[in-house]
Amino acid sequence: MITRVNEYVPNYTEVTESRKETRDVFTIATREKNAGIPGQFFMLSLPGVGEAPISVASGTGRNMEFTIRSIGKVTSKLENEKKIGIRGPYGNGWPWEEYDEILAIAGGIGIPPIRSLIQVIADKGEADKLEVLYGAKLPSDIVYRNEIDDWKRKIRFLLTVDNGDSTWNGRTGFVTSLIRESTVSRNAAAFVIGPPLMMKNSVLELVANGFSEDRIFLSLERRMECGIGVCGHCNLGEFYVCEDGPIFNYSKVKTQPELFL
Amino acid sequence: MINVLNAREMEDLFSRLRKDYETFGAVEENGEVVFDKISRFSEVSEKKSRYAPKEFLISRNENVLSTPDTTRKAVFGIKSCDLKGFYIMDKQILGKDPFYTAKRNNTLFVNFVCTEQCAGGFCSTFGGPLLEEYQIQVVRDGENYYVLSSDEFSKYLDGFKEADLSRVDEMMSKFKEMSPPLNVEGIENRIKWNSILWKNFASECISCGACNYSCPTCYCFDLYDRDDERLREWDSCILGGFTSTSAGNVRNSLDERLRQRFYHKFVYYKKSRGEYLCTGCNRCVDDCPVEIDIKEVITHDYQSE
Repeated sequence: MITRVNEYVPNYTEVTESRKETRDVFTIATREKNAGIPGQFFMLSLPGVGEAPISVASGTGRNMEFTIRSIGKVTSKLENEKKIGIRGPYGNGWPWEEYDEILAIAGGIGIPPIRSLIQVIADKGEADKLEVLYGAKLPSDIVYRNEIDDWKRKIRFLLTVDNGDSTWNGRTGFVTSLIRESTVSRNAAAFVIGPPLMMKNSVLELVANGFSEDRIFLSLERRMECGIGVCGHCNLGEFYVCEDGPIFNYSKVKTQPELFL
Repeated sequence: MINVLNAREMEDLFSRLRKDYETFGAVEENGEVVFDKISRFSEVSEKKSRYAPKEFLISRNENVLSTPDTTRKAVFGIKSCDLKGFYIMDKQILGKDPFYTAKRNNTLFVNFVCTEQCAGGFCSTFGGPLLEEYQIQVVRDGENYYVLSSDEFSKYLDGFKEADLSRVDEMMSKFKEMSPPLNVEGIENRIKWNSILWKNFASECISCGACNYSCPTCYCFDLYDRDDERLREWDSCILGGFTSTSAGNVRNSLDERLRQRFYHKFVYYKKSRGEYLCTGCNRCVDDCPVEIDIKEVITHDYQSE
């Protein structure tokens, strides 16, 4: 066992695979096993470049995988690295064990922590309690394209795109429009992750469809530098998203004016 | 325990501590009070230092991939307001940040309690200047130094004349009479999200961040890589990039960032950690180039808005 000098020092791990998901999204797999639970994140780093908080995309105990949109200083370089720094897991996870039924709603690049959830719930043999709604902007933005058919055999999984094209014969429209098609009971917990506006509209639609506010959970994103509640960047009101979240019960944060920013 | 010592005995106390600690103190250098290494108690200045000695626990710039410093240091002459800042930030970062924690656990602060209010200061608002939590706390009354020591450090006072708190209490009552506390109680409920204050402040503020750097309770920092180092550097919530991500910026405008600073101090921290994130030192006011006064946030009449 390696004793770490301090919490900021990452473990360096080998990247065993990097595969393209879409034009700007890729998945990397590492040799390390995932000690995190669905919804938690790790700080990934490249020496000389920096660190970025990334949600774990694989199930607990499986090899760690991260699905990343190439957009920032660090994320744009992670795709082709053989070795990366990792520290974590940090934050809390989806409280999936506390509920009999779960409706997960993911928009855009919010899908990785839901993939982790699907894997864990499937591994535990409880797939029938989960239904997933996933919306991407365009057909070409759909992440995990090769895994979705397999998921559809295990769970109820509805997919939509905001704008279709000539190759698309699935649903079109925002992911929020799928909420009324869901078959879970209104006692189900809703796990929502995606861009702020998508989360806001999902909450409105969920409440309008009879879901209760204290069973809605949001995964929030903020600038994070430390991951351990000390650098001060990720606050939402009196909470630090890294240590009190990233997943929040909607009823606990709904009065925060900066919630959907 | 409380003892009363004269100046010669304070040198003896200093020597005892010097056996176990590297000794630092507030000293006058080139007309400014700064913290430096000292070898005698008589070198210690009782004046308020130019800057809060935050750097003893949070380096302005350090490589977080290095090993935390565990040198045992004793720091003489830190003012109560500055020391209280550490006790307050302990509640959020002690035990989490390995560097802060290592330094905090290996540093002895010998704080000097003011017996007269400094210009602009309002420490009595937050229970000052005599601290309830301390290691070794000194109140000077002319030739007499009243030394309060917590259980862990009272061994260093063995053999010195014991005293009671009556004279200190008297001095503190007089202090509070001369400088009564502002009405901060309940500010977390009175303050308004849409107050005109934030826009007013923003119309003056030049986003320099001096208020954060001078504050004994501001602990936020930035992490960035330079070659093979990952550097921590004091950060400022007033600066535009503080919350910016590839997805956008939660606080794009300056009034939103100023509001964040004051909400953190008077609302958020009170809710999350039970204390206001301010000690009444007035350093942010002293160092503000456009005279924004944090006291206005406390005294403003929000109700009439």
